[in-house]
Amino acid sequence: MSDVSLTSPTTDPAGLLVYFVGTRFALFWLALKTGFLTVITLGFYRFWMKTRMRRWFWSAIRPGGHPMEYVGDPWEKLLGFFIAVVILTFYIGIINLLVMFVSFSIFSSASVGYLASVVGVIPLWFYAQYRARRYVLARTRWRGVRFGLEKGAWGYAWRALVHWAVTLLTVGLLWPRMTFWLEKYVTDRTYFGSARLNQGGHWAMLYRAAIPFILSLLVLVGGAIWVFWLDPIVVSADMTTDDIIRSVEEMMDGGAAALPVVGVERLGIFLIGILGLLYGAIHYRFVSKRLMANHKTADGITLHSRLSGPRVASIYVLGSVIAYFFLVLGVVGLVIFAMLTLGPSAMLGGAMGDFGAAVDLPKSIAVLLIAVFYLSIFLLWNVLYSTFVTFPLMRHIAQTLSLPQRHGLQVISQRARDEFAEAEGFAEALDLGAAI
Amino acid sequence: MSTGFNGFGAAYFDGDRPIGKEVSLHIANNNLQIGFDNGTTLFWPLEDIRTLEDNADKQSFTLRLITDPLARLLVTDQMLLGYLPNATRRSPPKGRGKLALWAAGAVAAVALQVTVLVPLLADRLAVFIPPDGERALGEATFEQIRDALGDTGLAPLAICENPAGTKALAQITAALNAGDGAPEGLSVAVLDHDMINAFALPGGFVVIFKGLIDHAETPDEVAVVLAHEIGHVVSRDPTRHALRSAGSIGILGLLFGDFAGGAAVLFLTERLISATYSQQAETNADAFGYARLEAANVSPAALGTMFERLRDEHGEGNELLGHFLSHPSLSDRIENARSAADETRNYAPILDDAGWKALQSICD
Repeated sequence: MSDVSLTSPTTDPAGLLVYFVGTRFALFWLALKTGFLTVITLGFYRFWMKTRMRRWFWSAIRPGGHPMEYVGDPWEKLLGFFIAVVILTFYIGIINLLVMFVSFSIFSSASVGYLASVVGVIPLWFYAQYRARRYVLARTRWRGVRFGLEKGAWGYAWRALVHWAVTLLTVGLLWPRMTFWLEKYVTDRTYFGSARLNQGGHWAMLYRAAIPFILSLLVLVGGAIWVFWLDPIVVSADMTTDDIIRSVEEMMDGGAAALPVVGVERLGIFLIGILGLLYGAIHYRFVSKRLMANHKTADGITLHSRLSGPRVASIYVLGSVIAYFFLVLGVVGLVIFAMLTLGPSAMLGGAMGDFGAAVDLPKSIAVLLIAVFYLSIFLLWNVLYSTFVTFPLMRHIAQTLSLPQRHGLQVISQRARDEFAEAEGFAEALDLGAAI
Repeated sequence: MSTGFNGFGAAYFDGDRPIGKEVSLHIANNNLQIGFDNGTTLFWPLEDIRTLEDNADKQSFTLRLITDPLARLLVTDQMLLGYLPNATRRSPPKGRGKLALWAAGAVAAVALQVTVLVPLLADRLAVFIPPDGERALGEATFEQIRDALGDTGLAPLAICENPAGTKALAQITAALNAGDGAPEGLSVAVLDHDMINAFALPGGFVVIFKGLIDHAETPDEVAVVLAHEIGHVVSRDPTRHALRSAGSIGILGLLFGDFAGGAAVLFLTERLISATYSQQAETNADAFGYARLEAANVSPAALGTMFERLRDEHGEGNELLGHFLSHPSLSDRIENARSAADETRNYAPILDDAGWKALQSICD
């Protein structure tokens, strides 16, 4: 860190760089430790786990060499969860009952009720999303100065609903508009100390981020026209969908196709198209963030991101593959461990009914063991995902970010504490706080 | 005596402006002396200094003072840590009373809603559901139960529809469902499952499991159960129950999260089958059942006979017993059934031998 300008932030011509410190192993260890505690406390430690993971990540991200700080308190998260449960049980329970009543009385069917009940939670979901963001920002500091987000969760919720409606009505054509305006709503209400952030730019600029997705879509549509219409694979004139499926199945079994087909290898274009769509989705999600970051400013402060779409995609793909590989290793390890501790006869006995089993486990203990096993796998996946996906992703996002202009920092002062009793309780209760 | 530390890379943040100040660091008289370029010095008592936990960097650490929530000191000299006696001690907890209050509130809110609010509302609303709606509710729950009990979720549980058996069943139903206040559109179905049980659903559905018919020794024993279930149909108990379940789905899903949501639905299905109604509802259904049996000239005592045999064979853990006898005690119920029978009267079986044979083979 010797080349970092630690104390006089206005002298570095390249701008204030964001560093990322901390090793993968340290994170793995922290995740494993806290995850284990979460499992043995039947999930209650998750508030501590989340706090500690955030503290670690925040302290690893160092704009100008100075760590971010997460000051959230696990007890306040637990309290927030309880508050949300109290409010939501009344909302969801009573509303659900009324909705089902109306559904049966007027529409004579359950599906309308189920649909309404799901739709009814959607505004709450957006509301919770904004509240969770507000909580995290209010508990984030850099150089001792708090971040903050103004109140406005219901405003966010109804805007999100309208934008989603518009996006669905235009079959996704106006998706970038939604991305931009929702992000602008949040950014324009975000503070660092006394400085207010501003989201500049125009929503149409986000179409650039959607190019890989659009191209993949074109490949799929073009491929479909080519393979099924212009130069059909199946020569027979009166083919049906069933025939095609049957042919494909027979070919997969290594037999000859039931129908005369030409150039089946051209179907590979769909594989390419679908992989392209997946890549396009990741690319859009992150490159749109980059484009918008480059238009985020505060007085005398600008942001610049060099985030790379292909790099993020490779992190997702490689990270997931590695995490999956280790998960399989871990599961095999767990099974071997169980064999060694309980004895192979117990495993065999379990598989063949309790026929002559040497270890006669009571049913309740067996169920408990299975539950712990299941939770362990779940825990292992979380730990591996944090290590091989979240870690490199955060690192890449941090290291590609910088503050070219930062003389505005000189005039910033502290902002008041946002007490925020219910923390991210709603997000937790509605199960959308999974991401860091 | 004063010990000096390497101040390179160290920075002090005053908790007001995001500007780091270069510092010199010394320890003297149990104080950390933080010296600034302008000649001023801050004194931090050593025992009041804490490090921030879960720090990702091994080369640097951040210090805070328990009496100042905002000021931060970033330090790179590891030597300093050895001089801080309470570096890793936790701050005293605060606001635990409030937490306990809300925790109690959360438990109370869920309990209040599941046990009082939802049932109350459901009971009031059940009266207003039009017959079509009730029918739809019953069909939905019927399908749900068939799916849940079906073969590993692939095919729903089969309905037994052997023509002769169906005819015999219709004969029993007609005999029991006559006279004043007989519900219209009553449909009785037999499901091919070994469970010894029967239950009513909204909209006049009564479901009998094949296990019950297999277990019964006389057709009257099937008839007494059916009469009791018709009693529930007439008083709309299942409708109330189904509405309650609908209201509870959301709460349970909330508490257990998505991943246990499926389990919650299964649990509710189970609750529907082994629906336990209030004592009053059970007593009313019994009274209704006995009246119908009398009208059909069938002895209510068959109920007592059947329950007694069930108890002897399976103990009180049996599903049917659990369902029927949860509130009034088992022996009371048997006693009541016996005394409901008029000893001077000449009862006849509800089906003749041929009809009983047909009913027994309804699932073949």
